Amino acid sequence: MTAAIAVGVLVAAGVFLILRRSLVRVAFGFILLGHAVNLLLMAAGGLGRREPPILGPDGPTTPADPLPQAFVLTAIVISFGTTVYLLGLARAQRRGDQDEKPGPGP
Amino acid sequence: MVLVVALAAMAGLAALAPILARLMGRNAGYVLAAGFVAIAAVLGTVGPAVLAGETPTASWPWLPHFGVSLTLRLDGLSALFCVLVLGVGALILGYCPRYLRPEHHHRSIYFQLTAFGGGMLGLVLAGDLVLLYVFWELTSVLSFFLIGSVGARGNAPALRALLVTTTGGLALLTAIVLVSVRLGTTDLTEVLAARNQLLGLPLGDAVAALLILAAFTKSAQAPFSFWLPGAMVAITPVSAYLHAATMVKAGIYLLLRFTTVYAGQPGWSFTLMAVGLVTAIVGALRALREHDLKSLLAYSTVSQLGLLVAAIGVGTTVALAAAVLHTFAHALFKATLFMLVGIIDREAGSRDLRQISGLRRVMPVTATLTGLASLSLAGVAPMIGFVSKESLFQGFASATVFPGAGAVAAALAVFASALTFAYGVRLLYGAFAGPTMQRTLYEPSWLFLAPAAVAAGASAVLGPGVVVLNPLMHRAILDVEPWGTPPSFQLWHGFSLELALSGLTIALGTVLFVARARVDRTLRHLPEDRGAQRFEVFYSALIRFGTALARTDHRRTTWPYLARPVVGLVLLAGAGLGVATGLPGTYPAPRALDWGVVGLLVAAAITVVLMRTTLASVAALGSVGLLVTTWFITAGAPDVALTLLLVEILTAVVAAFALRGLPARLAPVHRSGAVGAGVLAGLAGLAAAGGTFALTGRRGLSPAGEYYLDAAEEATGGRNVVNTILVDFRGLDTFGEISVLASVALGLTLLFAGARPVAGRPAPYEPLLGPAQRLLAPIIVTLALYLLVRGHDQPGGGFIAALVAGMAVALGALSGGGRFRVARGLRTAPLIAAGLLICAGVGLAALVAGQAFLTPLKGPFGLSTSLLFDAGVFLLVLGVMVTAINRFSLAEGFTP
Repeated sequence: MTAAIAVGVLVAAGVFLILRRSLVRVAFGFILLGHAVNLLLMAAGGLGRREPPILGPDGPTTPADPLPQAFVLTAIVISFGTTVYLLGLARAQRRGDQDEKPGPGP
Repeated sequence: MVLVVALAAMAGLAALAPILARLMGRNAGYVLAAGFVAIAAVLGTVGPAVLAGETPTASWPWLPHFGVSLTLRLDGLSALFCVLVLGVGALILGYCPRYLRPEHHHRSIYFQLTAFGGGMLGLVLAGDLVLLYVFWELTSVLSFFLIGSVGARGNAPALRALLVTTTGGLALLTAIVLVSVRLGTTDLTEVLAARNQLLGLPLGDAVAALLILAAFTKSAQAPFSFWLPGAMVAITPVSAYLHAATMVKAGIYLLLRFTTVYAGQPGWSFTLMAVGLVTAIVGALRALREHDLKSLLAYSTVSQLGLLVAAIGVGTTVALAAAVLHTFAHALFKATLFMLVGIIDREAGSRDLRQISGLRRVMPVTATLTGLASLSLAGVAPMIGFVSKESLFQGFASATVFPGAGAVAAALAVFASALTFAYGVRLLYGAFAGPTMQRTLYEPSWLFLAPAAVAAGASAVLGPGVVVLNPLMHRAILDVEPWGTPPSFQLWHGFSLELALSGLTIALGTVLFVARARVDRTLRHLPEDRGAQRFEVFYSALIRFGTALARTDHRRTTWPYLARPVVGLVLLAGAGLGVATGLPGTYPAPRALDWGVVGLLVAAAITVVLMRTTLASVAALGSVGLLVTTWFITAGAPDVALTLLLVEILTAVVAAFALRGLPARLAPVHRSGAVGAGVLAGLAGLAAAGGTFALTGRRGLSPAGEYYLDAAEEATGGRNVVNTILVDFRGLDTFGEISVLASVALGLTLLFAGARPVAGRPAPYEPLLGPAQRLLAPIIVTLALYLLVRGHDQPGGGFIAALVAGMAVALGALSGGGRFRVARGLRTAPLIAAGLLICAGVGLAALVAGQAFLTPLKGPFGLSTSLLFDAGVFLLVLGVMVTAINRFSLAEGFTP
């Protein structure tokens, strides 16, 4: 339930931002969407088991599902790459938010 | 083997053509013609075997999974077309030197003509349908270039020819794919032998329809015939070779080939006969109306191809024999006529039929040759055209597709042939009778006339001597219809029906000629050939449609693109709501902390949206990240939490650099756009929340997760299961992911390619951060290496270690402002390359050891190559960090 609320709010905020003209806001929106998807993946592993999946003599009795964690870990790094690239684009666009109105020319 | 040599020699000849043309100019044509003859001689060595019924074949596997092979085979039918391709090709190349002018592009023309010869040879030798298709398209493309080589006026006709013939090419490819799916092979011999499997199925009909479409476009049958008259803008050798003698016969070849399968099928027969005869008559009427010699010959070609298609449609052995012989005869007389028209054209004479009267007084030899070819075209004894025309009548009379079909088809064929006779006699009349209109014309050199003379002579000699052709014709017919008994051709076979029909044709044609003034007046009412215009209208409408369709994709902003998948998501969720049943009943109870974290998260997310300044937005965004990190900790994911924490810090650093040159305030959101976006965002949020709720109710451990927890320690020696998944179990995933990161680094490098480091003022905090950085950097790097090494057992690993090391880089950048060159030794390319190479090397080492790609190999002391792999990940991710921080921190002087 809590995960669903968190994902819903993050997606709503993220979608609102990616529909802006400013690339900076678009980049922020993608960051929020990335968080939302990561939360969803983790939640899909089940939130009833919450011990770190690290084995050993005194290992967990109810370890969390490690597979979504592996997915999310790489996803975080990849979304960092996306963010950095989007920020680079925003910078290349230079005027960033001044473009809220449609620009001239094709 | 001989086949391979012949085809390779053609390719070699084509490669040699530009060099020869550079050395010898236009006279290179003679050498190339000799080459064609030599290649024909090479193929001729297996001629006796082919005539005896053997089929020399050469085959190599190509795409064995699809049953596709590089197969060449030479049977009688192929041999007949080889004779045409190489024989007419040699004549045309021998004709070119005197035809071409110095300003022509000899090199490209010779190259393209020779390559076309090779393409046609490949087409008729191909023993595999896929190979046949490749050569088929090659001839279309070369035809496009040869038509287009005349300059601007050739552009539109060349494009029309290409579009029409490649449409047919696509139909052919589709047919081949269907055949391949049905039969599991594309080998021509096997496909033709699988007659019963192809027939009687909807699939078989589809294949037939597609093959017919392919043949009709290539052989200029109604309603696609318009491209051929347009193609006449090409230089005359091209018209003669491609658009009369060979390329347009590729469709005929295809139909003949598949007659083996479809002979006697009513739909096939009826379609071919109806379209062929209509094309024959309409083409002949248009030819009779034309006064421009080249256009006349073009429509005449369309008409003759129509007769061939119709004869193939009849499907009886007699009709097929006629079609095969007439293909040969037509190539001879039509190539002759084109070459002669080219001579008249070249002497700056008029090509108007009404202007060439009395030609014999100024050009006796040319006139004689024109007369011979015209007689063959008109079907007058004793030319080969007479023999083939009589055979055609005999063939049409044998049609049985519906009761009385023979009579109808023969009558229509007689009508078309009478029209042909009428314009053939007009040519003859122009050559010999009437007053001489163009006194400036003169007899060309014998060299210029020789190729036409050879072809015209063959037309005359092979009429009485048609028996010479019988062995080859027999073989070709037997290859089409192995069950048939091929007739023997002879000039005179007594008083028969077809002789009567010939007589009727000549009588009717003579009437049409004598009454030519009236005929001309009547023909003026014949509608113009508007095929080309109609095609242009259709084509430009298609282009407009495409432009309109793509217009939405040419925006300067990103939101129109980004909105689409969101709308899709909402629709999908709506559909899901409609069909969803049986949501999981039990959910784990949320813990108290969850509510606190989620409450703060919601507040932070809303803050991000509402903030008006960039810095505040970044701060709120950081809060969101930290709250998500907390959430991950409570969910039992220390590795993930650690990763996210580091990424958040680095994102803040990069954002601080990136946003430096941008306005501090974000532009206000326009109210009108915000409402729509807000509604869509709200719907998307609901959809996402609903989806999350519906999909996360399952509570046991997933089978995969269970397996990893059970097997990790034993299989990999690692205790941190998440890390073992990354580097041991699912290394290929990780490899793919770091490749994505590598491309991000490359993209950034390109994006900032113009950036120059600028000496900025020292930042106010520099005195503090400078020493701190010098003190902390070694500690951070040591910590990073420790995290890397311990990652297999404890939280850590390559990703996390690289992010930690990135902290040192970020600290350096912050402390130095724009002046500090971060960690000089760390540069993008070496780090990225080393990371990728190490990871790939680990993967390949496994291959060498006989394991699957990227399987970790165990070494002594519990070590395995997975640590090396993780080190590769570390280097690559560090490379991305260095790139991001360096590029943004140095990019002050960035100019787009």
